[in-house]
Amino acid sequence: MSFREKTAWGMGLILILAGVWYFQRVIGLSEALGHVAAPNIKFVIGYVVLVVIASIVVNIIIASAAGKEAEAPADEREKVILDRAGHWSGYVLAVGAVAGLWHFGWNSDGNLLFHIVFGALMLSQVAEYAFQIVLFRRGV
Amino acid sequence: MAKPTHIGNRIRELREQHGNMSQAALAEAIGVTRQTVIAMEQGRYSPSLESAFRIARVFGTGVEDVFSWTEGQDS
Repeated sequence: MSFREKTAWGMGLILILAGVWYFQRVIGLSEALGHVAAPNIKFVIGYVVLVVIASIVVNIIIASAAGKEAEAPADEREKVILDRAGHWSGYVLAVGAVAGLWHFGWNSDGNLLFHIVFGALMLSQVAEYAFQIVLFRRGV
Repeated sequence: MAKPTHIGNRIRELREQHGNMSQAALAEAIGVTRQTVIAMEQGRYSPSLESAFRIARVFGTGVEDVFSWTEGQDS
């Protein structure tokens, strides 16, 4: 498995775990309140800090095991894969954003709009790494 | 499942003919990763024209001696 594929696995797992952590808190708070909780900056900062710290740790571990490969820039095949995965993940974000707006149009719930769009942002990042893994394995 | 390409190649065969050149050595010679050379040999990636010429030069041959068009269902 290449360095970049290992990185994609690591980042994908970090983002999934951090997303689960975030939404567990949002759902827990919403249940306690009896309605969709307002965006909570503490949860958002917690999510970002969790992702940043875990990313640094995981990337250091993967890079130290990869040696010279980690220092090399992406080659032509890897650039195509990274570009294509980024392009496809944009569609995931767009679908999530439209879903959020559609919900807002029906319910006029700004809190729900925030959570759907933030969730779509998380999902699109996970999808980007998932697409990278698929393309690394399937070929381009 | 690997996505097949229409570009066939003799990279593995030519490596073996050139003193069992390793995939890593070829990768370094043409400026790509070893995984990209593996993907080319397995037909999962068609290299750029520049890389195709670099590979041909490493083996001291022409591009058409390394790569060939293989007919597929949608060709």
